[in-house]
Amino acid sequence: MKQKTDVPQGTLALMVLKTLDVLGSLHGYGIARRIEQISGDLLAVNQGTLYPVLLKLEQEGVIASEWGASENNRRARFYRLTKEGRKQLQVETQDWEQTAAIIGRFFEAKAEDLS
Amino acid sequence: MTSLRRFLARLGNFVARRGQDERLSEEIQEHIALQTAENLRTGLSPVEARRQAMLKFGGVEAMKQDYRAEGGLLFVENFLQDLRFAIRSLRRTPGLTAFVVITLALGIGMTSATFSMVDGLIFRPYPVPHPGNVVTLVSTTHDSPFDHFSFREYLDIRDKTNSYDGVIARAEMEAVGFSTEPAATPRIKGGMMVSGNYFHVLGVEPRLGRGFREDEDQVPGRNAVVVLGPDFWRHEFASDPSVVGRTIRLNGAEFTVIGVAPDSFPGMLTFGIPDFYVPLAMARVFTTNLQKNFFEDRDDRELDVKARLKSGTTLEQARNELAVLAQNLEREHPKANRGRGATVYTLLQTRTIEDDNWKFGVIFVILALAVLLVACTNVAGLLLSRARHRTREIAVRLALGAGRFRLIRLLLTESLILASLGGAAGIAIGYGVVEWFHSKESIVFMTELPAAVPFRMDTRILLASLALSLLSAVLCGLAPALQSTRVDLVSGLKSAEADLPGRKRLWGRNVLVVAQVATSLMLLTASFLMARSFQHSLLDGTGFTKDHLLMVKFDPRLVQYNAAQTQQFYKQLAERVREAPGVQSEALTQNIPMGQDEFYGLAFVPDGFEMPKDRENFNSTMDTVDEGYFVTLGIPILRGRGFLASDTANAPRVAVVNERFAKHYWPGGDAVGKYIRLDSRTGTPVEIVGVAQTIKYQSTMEKSIDFVYMPLAQHPIARMVLMLRSSGDPLQLVQPVKDVVRTLDPNLPMLQTRSYEDLYLNAAVKGPGIAIQLVGTMGLVGLLMAIAGLYGLVAYNVSRRTREIGIRIALGAGQSDVLRLVMGKGLVLVGMGTAIGLAMGFALEQLMNSMLFNAGGVDIVAYIIVVPSLFLVTMLAAYVPARRASRIAPTQALRYE
Repeated sequence: MKQKTDVPQGTLALMVLKTLDVLGSLHGYGIARRIEQISGDLLAVNQGTLYPVLLKLEQEGVIASEWGASENNRRARFYRLTKEGRKQLQVETQDWEQTAAIIGRFFEAKAEDLS
Repeated sequence: MTSLRRFLARLGNFVARRGQDERLSEEIQEHIALQTAENLRTGLSPVEARRQAMLKFGGVEAMKQDYRAEGGLLFVENFLQDLRFAIRSLRRTPGLTAFVVITLALGIGMTSATFSMVDGLIFRPYPVPHPGNVVTLVSTTHDSPFDHFSFREYLDIRDKTNSYDGVIARAEMEAVGFSTEPAATPRIKGGMMVSGNYFHVLGVEPRLGRGFREDEDQVPGRNAVVVLGPDFWRHEFASDPSVVGRTIRLNGAEFTVIGVAPDSFPGMLTFGIPDFYVPLAMARVFTTNLQKNFFEDRDDRELDVKARLKSGTTLEQARNELAVLAQNLEREHPKANRGRGATVYTLLQTRTIEDDNWKFGVIFVILALAVLLVACTNVAGLLLSRARHRTREIAVRLALGAGRFRLIRLLLTESLILASLGGAAGIAIGYGVVEWFHSKESIVFMTELPAAVPFRMDTRILLASLALSLLSAVLCGLAPALQSTRVDLVSGLKSAEADLPGRKRLWGRNVLVVAQVATSLMLLTASFLMARSFQHSLLDGTGFTKDHLLMVKFDPRLVQYNAAQTQQFYKQLAERVREAPGVQSEALTQNIPMGQDEFYGLAFVPDGFEMPKDRENFNSTMDTVDEGYFVTLGIPILRGRGFLASDTANAPRVAVVNERFAKHYWPGGDAVGKYIRLDSRTGTPVEIVGVAQTIKYQSTMEKSIDFVYMPLAQHPIARMVLMLRSSGDPLQLVQPVKDVVRTLDPNLPMLQTRSYEDLYLNAAVKGPGIAIQLVGTMGLVGLLMAIAGLYGLVAYNVSRRTREIGIRIALGAGQSDVLRLVMGKGLVLVGMGTAIGLAMGFALEQLMNSMLFNAGGVDIVAYIIVVPSLFLVTMLAAYVPARRASRIAPTQALRYE
């Protein structure tokens, strides 16, 4: 059975960081929606898996959270990137791009390139 | 860094768990509400909108689990959960829980108390910095692996060895007359002579003033300085810090206080606690042996020598060096050192070789561990039967997917709680026992010198007890946990009392019962044997009369008498008290029999005796007595005569020996008229004029020993005990004696004035009685446990087989058949346990005989009494539930599920 939501944790965490970097302070649902919009159906089900990741990130100190009012004027937990988070996002973005580039080159490589 | 921060955050979450759970719930609700609102906008019905939202969110519980795993300390949380559950389930069976806790408490308590004994006797390090490299140097002979050194020998060792960072010496603690004012009557305190480098080498920093300087120990009699012990300073000087520089009087001589030892240093003795320390150079003020010159005589061996091993020097090197030195000494001083070696002992060797007290401790530890083992097996058995009642619960848990490991952990948590409670109560019991020992201090120590039972519950013992509790938790918890989680799920779920056919399951429990019966039988025989052989020795008597005797100890050195004055004093004292009203007869003796002070040794050569090549002389125990001694103590003179007033210092030297001595050296002939020579074959000849009956000299259970009596007039001793035979209450003689002493010297203190019988009872009866009580208590506790264990096993068996028994009865089995069926097994177990216990008891008896005393061969009577009574009691434990089984109504039993 293919589990669409079995996103590697690191990937999901990176998505969360990027989302918060772009959109600023957001609550859990907002983050889930944004990731859903961008990644298609990657997070279409099991949105709940987001919350353990948020907790982990918060404990690492890369994001911070506080209570605020949601769109329908109820209490919601808003997450935002910390200074440290921004730094980490930068590092990880670079890492990711580097990795992606390397993997990409490997996929593009043809037999004759390697000879 | 991040992982540390995460851990800290988790720790925080763990504490604020509740708040975090609420936060998550709220977030989930909000999330779903927002999603529902979104779905509504797309045109779904409210119900469907919410359903879709929840679907999209995914499994809430699984997510919560993840969240918690992320947010908290899973291990600790599981443990706490187990703990709560275990406490709940233990509270459901309060009776069983209490029984288990008490059982374990008894076992752990006894063990920790006996641990504290053995620790105090042999293991506890010296109370000095780096105690590990402090070694003891001993002189060795053919007769003794532990002899002291003389002052001269000490100087040789100190100056001619290279293995040590300092060699120190001390004399035994001595009774010293102490006063602060010249006019005051001196009181007896415990003083110790030590070498000038004593505190320095041990690394003991005085809390006030200073320790001795080495130059204060160089010229005999020059530096009258004293360092006070911390307790003495507190009690006698009310912790006065200005005590340094003050003058006090010791044995009548003035000494200047130069320091106070710290609280951390109660001295190097196992039992004694010196009140003060003086330099060896002041020996003339304190010396006990008037016959020898402390500073010159190489055979005046009074010093315990210790040293700090240099780092990098091995014990072996030090031993070799000392052995060579001993050889040189033997060559240079053939008279004093013939056949004498020397060696180096570690702390443990020192404590185990010097005296035998520790053996009692070790025996008690073995016994206590046996009790603990019984307790653990018992608890394991109870838990096992409890686990069986929970078969269904466990089957359900396993069926629902609980891991076996997780369940075992849960069950182990239960036994951990039980063991912790038991351990806590056990430590309390241990404290109680140690306190009890301290309350018996006055019985154990009858000297006037300061002493304390070295048993205490310190950190080491507490840690050991804690480890024991943990160990017993595993011991009594693991087997039941392993077995009960191995249930067959299908049958386990079907019936509450699932039971697999086959003997394997009960095998463990049977072993437990057999072990219990065996160990308690062993304990009971041991205590019974001890009590019996002790009783025997008491009945045998001591060989002398103990009643109607008053004893008073004198030490004229306390008022600075010289040797002649001392002699004169005792002569006059004896003459005058003999005339006093109510006095039937009078005796003077250096040591009372069965007292605390050790008898002197006597080195001698029987005249005309062919000595073995490597021996200079033989050794015997001796006492110095006056002419009234044998009459007053009622010791029969078997041949020859006792001492007479005519055996004066100028008369030819005479001695009386005991029967054993006479038979030992003159097996065929009569000892009377023979001569012994003191110290060597060329020494002073002493004629044996009488043979006295052999009595008990030191303890009720001693094997008979060689003994020589010397007359006081020819062998002057400073410290003597006056013994008076009275017609009525011996204490009525106290006043007449006081009057006599006052006419002789009003300043002379009367020490240890008491009825001899009273002292004898304490020393010879109550003291050993304590040991017997202890072993007996252990045996009884063990027996109680065995009974409980056996009862539990049979009762459990009955309940397990209720249905089967019902069928048997329905098919026509009679009450007696059922009884036989149920009891048969118990019988076999008790039989096996008895056999093993007998063998173990037999081995223990041999051990006790070789270690403690010689009670002769096997004590059949002990077994004849103990074995059947144990058998009877344990059978009774099996009978009660068996009888219940035989009365089961078949209708009820068949319906029983």
